[in-house]
Amino acid sequence: MEANANATKNGTKTLPSDLQQVGVVAKYDVLKYLRSRRLLGILIIEALVLVLITALVATSDRPHTVDEVISQYIGFVSILIVLGATLFGGDAIVSEYQNRTGFLLFPNPVKKSSILAGKFASSVAAMSLMLLIYYAVAIVGGLLMGDGGMSTRVFASLGLALLYGISAIAVAFLISSIMKGSTGALILTFALFFLIFSIATSLIGQLGGIKPWFMLDFSGGSLSYIMNNPYPVDSVDTIGIGSGMSYTIYNYFPEVYLSIAVMLAYTVVSLVLAYVFFQRRQMAA
Amino acid sequence: MAPGPTQPIVIRDLTKEFNGFKAVDDLSLTVERNTFLGFLGPNGAGKTTAIKILTNLLDASSGSAYLNGIDVTRRPKQALAGIGAVVETPEFYPYLTPVQTLTYLGRLRGMPRQAIDERSRELLHLVLLTDWADKKIGKFSKGMKQRLALAQALLHRPHVLILDEPTTGLDPRGMVEIRNILKELKKENYTVFMSSHLLNEVQEVCDHVALIDHGKMLASGEVSELLKNKGCRMLEVRFLQPADDAALQRIGQLAGVVEVERLSPETVMVKLKGQEEEQADLLDAIRGLGTKVSSFGESGNPLEALYMSLIKETR
Repeated sequence: MEANANATKNGTKTLPSDLQQVGVVAKYDVLKYLRSRRLLGILIIEALVLVLITALVATSDRPHTVDEVISQYIGFVSILIVLGATLFGGDAIVSEYQNRTGFLLFPNPVKKSSILAGKFASSVAAMSLMLLIYYAVAIVGGLLMGDGGMSTRVFASLGLALLYGISAIAVAFLISSIMKGSTGALILTFALFFLIFSIATSLIGQLGGIKPWFMLDFSGGSLSYIMNNPYPVDSVDTIGIGSGMSYTIYNYFPEVYLSIAVMLAYTVVSLVLAYVFFQRRQMAA
Repeated sequence: MAPGPTQPIVIRDLTKEFNGFKAVDDLSLTVERNTFLGFLGPNGAGKTTAIKILTNLLDASSGSAYLNGIDVTRRPKQALAGIGAVVETPEFYPYLTPVQTLTYLGRLRGMPRQAIDERSRELLHLVLLTDWADKKIGKFSKGMKQRLALAQALLHRPHVLILDEPTTGLDPRGMVEIRNILKELKKENYTVFMSSHLLNEVQEVCDHVALIDHGKMLASGEVSELLKNKGCRMLEVRFLQPADDAALQRIGQLAGVVEVERLSPETVMVKLKGQEEEQADLLDAIRGLGTKVSSFGESGNPLEALYMSLIKETR
């Protein structure tokens, strides 16, 4: 029980590098997803979606190509990504404060940047696992139920889905670093993607006539559109509704490279802000 | 200038403001190596705030706090390497077991796997959690969590322990268990900085104390020295027969007596200005009044009397 005399000259012991500590935090955060059954829960939801789509495609009379079948699956990926970002990122930071586990973790010799990076890595790992399983099943379903060969667009879609997932988690981390309660953070993350972003994107695009290229959910849509051949282009249709009046419909589609840039920007900006807020946040109570 | 190796905890001119309210106000304190210092003060005195700054849970508004010579406000990772801390009642990750929790924290500190395993077994035995080593913490009682918190603070064999009211909220048995562990630590080469408002506990385990109120330092030093120099002592005098008012009046006029208060027909409390010598003189003087004394001695906890007199002065 004796106190350790094995210390360096300045009184500190040899500590692991920041990167090694990121790995330790990530490992135990993954354990959290496994033990809290969040990962299991989302995989069950994913399985139900896959079964439903498979049943619908299998009972459809119309012949499909492999890419068309896979597109049916990919249509639901955005919803899964929002669910994943909410469950894996929504309370990642705030829970340390609300559950008072920060009193255990923060007095250890580990930088908050390492804690943030470790938690982010584990969330991304969980999201990636979810997406890889989903795409794997989608590809198998496409090959079994579709005609012809599979195009490389599926892999491009997977890449965009992973990027959208990463950027959605980054936004969730930002919310988690600001909010005071876990429940509020989870609800806000979910509502942001399902309601606030989608309403704003519709208002800007449909009513404002401005292409919402800067909206994250709009950019995330590229993961579905990339399955179309050729890739859809923007269009503006004016429909006459009588008495000399007309109605204009704007159809905007995200450009792939611009959407990649937007998703990367959301990731970087959100993570930097999350770090700043996390760093400044104190265990006051 | 950074403090030397004989002063593992040094607080210099530390201030913490919350919206204009100074929770810690220009506080300075040095804890010498291998001392067991009790950090005392009433609720809201600023004890926990000071400890939170020391453990990087709060930022200081101004001033500095050194752990093993390293400013924790500037280089927290290095400063926290050589300390173990229990702040408030920490919560644990409910999905982990005690062994997994200690492994997680040990890995964060770069301890080898085998060392973590051996040390975990040793510590879980010390804190009486061996039978619970592989049970999830989610359903642990507060006392069990507090004992586990102490185990994690000792995991890496730190030089310095910072404990924030380690027995708060525990039942009497839990308090005794924690206190016994603290007494064990006292025998070893630990420097312990422990906040508490349980004066009996502090008197039992601490050799040094620092008293603060309103975020300011009131007194600090060795317990025996502070008690020797505290000026006044409370004495309980019990007479064989009930003492009348005239007797009380005469006692009140004796040398050094500041105040006399009747506790029961036979018992009075005398506040005496002075030390052992004056206390002996008072006994002689009371006997000289012709009253038979059946018992005579210092009342209650002497540290409590010192604490109360210092706190009163700041109210």
